[in-house]
Amino acid sequence: MQHDNPIMQLRGVVKGFPNGTLALRGVDLDIEQGKVHGLLGANGAGKSTLIKILSGAYWATLGEIIWRGKPIKWDSPKAANDMGVATVHQHIPLVPTLSVLENIYLGNRGIWRLASSSRRDYEELCQRIGYRLDPDALVGNLSIGERQMVSIMTAVGTGADLIVMDEPTASLAAEERELVYATVRRLSKGENKAILFVSHFLDEVMALTDQVTVLRDGTAVLRANTADLDEDRIAEAIVGKQIAALERQAQEREPTTGKARLQLQNLASKGRFGPISLDVARGEVIGVAGLLGSGRSELLHAIYGSDRDATGTVLLDGEIVPRNTGAAVKAGMGMVPEDRMAQGLVPDFEIWRNTTLPALGGVSVMNSMPIEDRERERGWEAIRMLSIKASSPDILVKELSGGNAQKVTIAKWLFSDVKLFLLDEPTAGIDIGAKTDILRLVRKLASEGQSIIIVSSEFEELLAVSDRIIVLRDGQCVAVRDGHKTSEHELLLLAGGQAASTEAAVH
Amino acid sequence: MNTITHSPAQKMPEVSNVQTVSPSTNWRRMFGLRERGVYYALLLLITVLTLLTTYLGQANYLSVLNLSNVVYQSSLMAIMAVAMTVVLISGNFDLSVASVAALAAVILIGNADAIGFIPAAALAMAVAMAIGLINGSIVQFLGINAFIVTLGTMTAVRGLVLIYTDGRSLSASDPNVIETMKAFEGGRHDGFWLILAGGVVLLALGIIGLIKAASAKNPVRPSAVGMTIGGAGFLLLAWASGGELTLRNPVIYLAIFTTIVWFTLSFTMVGRRLYAVGGNSEAARLSGINVLLYKLMAFVFCSGTAGFAGILFASRLRSINPAGLSGAELTVIAAAILGGTSLFGGAGSVIKTLAGALLLFSLTNGFNMLNLGANWQGLIEGIVVVVAAAIYTVGGNKSKSKTGG
Repeated sequence: MQHDNPIMQLRGVVKGFPNGTLALRGVDLDIEQGKVHGLLGANGAGKSTLIKILSGAYWATLGEIIWRGKPIKWDSPKAANDMGVATVHQHIPLVPTLSVLENIYLGNRGIWRLASSSRRDYEELCQRIGYRLDPDALVGNLSIGERQMVSIMTAVGTGADLIVMDEPTASLAAEERELVYATVRRLSKGENKAILFVSHFLDEVMALTDQVTVLRDGTAVLRANTADLDEDRIAEAIVGKQIAALERQAQEREPTTGKARLQLQNLASKGRFGPISLDVARGEVIGVAGLLGSGRSELLHAIYGSDRDATGTVLLDGEIVPRNTGAAVKAGMGMVPEDRMAQGLVPDFEIWRNTTLPALGGVSVMNSMPIEDRERERGWEAIRMLSIKASSPDILVKELSGGNAQKVTIAKWLFSDVKLFLLDEPTAGIDIGAKTDILRLVRKLASEGQSIIIVSSEFEELLAVSDRIIVLRDGQCVAVRDGHKTSEHELLLLAGGQAASTEAAVH
Repeated sequence: MNTITHSPAQKMPEVSNVQTVSPSTNWRRMFGLRERGVYYALLLLITVLTLLTTYLGQANYLSVLNLSNVVYQSSLMAIMAVAMTVVLISGNFDLSVASVAALAAVILIGNADAIGFIPAAALAMAVAMAIGLINGSIVQFLGINAFIVTLGTMTAVRGLVLIYTDGRSLSASDPNVIETMKAFEGGRHDGFWLILAGGVVLLALGIIGLIKAASAKNPVRPSAVGMTIGGAGFLLLAWASGGELTLRNPVIYLAIFTTIVWFTLSFTMVGRRLYAVGGNSEAARLSGINVLLYKLMAFVFCSGTAGFAGILFASRLRSINPAGLSGAELTVIAAAILGGTSLFGGAGSVIKTLAGALLLFSLTNGFNMLNLGANWQGLIEGIVVVVAAAIYTVGGNKSKSKTGG
């Protein structure tokens, strides 16, 4: 794959962090003008680190960055921007209270808030991109897709020659995605820009990109022209072949049978996910596989009753659960939400006060007055049971590390009669030791007869703990697989590729 | 291992977080400026005023009579400040309390002659609570910021007062009603035995708590220390009074009310959940707590209390001026802030709020006794509030950076 001069070249880029992790272990990357370059990899493969190096947020520990044939070292996102590299971030950093125009030219110098020149520039920009938004509309009133376009326009508006797009379509609906694709094509083919397109969706990578680089464990394991590849090969490159150990564990389990503990009947939430029906047996672990924006968290919230707009019926042990969290807790559900500090814990409460919050009755006299000694004892129990690294239950949870805080959000539900655990990304952002503890706990709870629904972006983990895995894509349940009969490879294709044709997913 | 941490002076300021929160008591925190600042400020102010009055040869500030006067003067505001603390803990804000109290007073005075004191008072309370329900519903169901909503109702309710009174003062004339009002507000009781008994009970509970913690090697709870010191203070007061201690009704109402609210907040599930709702409403909701109900009830409670304060106010004067209690909401909020209540919710203590209210009224009282005139008063009060807020905020940041580092 020799082409004319790449505009951006990385040669043997290594990035290490002070805590000893090596996020990148010598990555080569060539991005050419006029081409769309796809960058893929599983969570933790090093994609974000690579993007941060390209956009100037990180320095490379070793290796060379060659921009337009010259080795450079930029020390801030601003410097990278000035040299002609712009980044469209996954979480769109816009000011909701300013207009489209003001957001796009926010970085510009100048005294006046709305220089007439920026209006001219804006019209020109719209012409180039082939898309127009009312420049005076407030960003806060725009849809997510429109905001994504504003974000892309901002990047293009800086006059950059290389535009890095970090999962620009992750949270968009199908038609909004088409708009992004059209823009990307126009920029690369029409304007000869180089584009680095990061995505989890294999089909869009196949359709959109000219070249592909796949990262795994900090190295580029696949570099090829898209035309020479198919989804299967990309998935194989992303997954690798060393997952046997975890899978074996999955196969050893017997299929769970028994009375349905949880029944979902046409559960849906408009604009979030489509109707899903599902039976979960006692002691069964259901994995929910899906990419960001597939409706996986929304499904859990609908089951738990924290989504007021949900429709359909949720039955726990045959009883209809009313749609509010109080009723769900009473019925025996427990929820470990995705964002532990914002949704799971009261940061200014100690471990013990957080631990007993959902089940205060159990530590109270006359079901109304909690006894502090008993609560503290609960706190100690939680620390022992889940090996939380804290010297006492009196520590405030905001002072705990991510993994230990996560264990507290789980511990909340272990002291009452919880029959159904809803775990939303329980292992995100925590170290491997805590991760293993949590996954082991999931299996233990299941073996005691509790049912569990677990959402995770790391399909490897789902395979390790789940009896069945349902795959969501764009809010639709596209497949249900037995945990020991599927593979990470297949899940990846189902969640992100075209292979997931609408199959009868109803169970 | 307990003995090491019992000597706070030896602790290095850089001691890392893990050590300071070991199971032994964190005395430095318990007696720190941030936790107990309002008590120190109150003690300091009383000491200064006592020394000044003695030096200037005026009536002694630290007399039982004067102290009980200060408590009496502060009672009305303190009752509202205690309820305000509840709203602030729930993560909301209520500017309308003074207007609601004035409306309740007007309704009482306007109707008592016709329908009697108790029905009129019940009507006033009902209207006050209805306004709380309106406040809470607008804030919770429409999602408008509580500051803005209650700024609006503050003005609107004051407008209602003006409409109702047509801008004139009202007064009660029926002698029966006047008698009832006098009895309700002006009644006096000998509180010596009450204070003595309260002191003994508090001291006993506090000491039991201390002994229990020591024998179980648990950390000593602030409430045990507080009860010990408070109990000792009550006994001291009883001793100083020499057997004659007159308590007026509003002081008794304040004491009962504060005790109930303090108990509820500290020792019941309702209190715990209220703190959780204010500390992180989403986490509380996902823990199965009816966040909406708690926030709504906090508003109703606050307005209901304001209504009660209005009834007390009307009974005291037995007439009401439509501009009565104007600006009182700021005193009420200032007392809660002096007590360290967080404006962001999830933190606050009614006992400290009470101390904050006493602090503000001690200032006023001291100014009067020293004949400094009212001109300086606003300036000093304002500075005290800002300094208190600064101590809470800066003190908070410091401890954060310490634990972070």
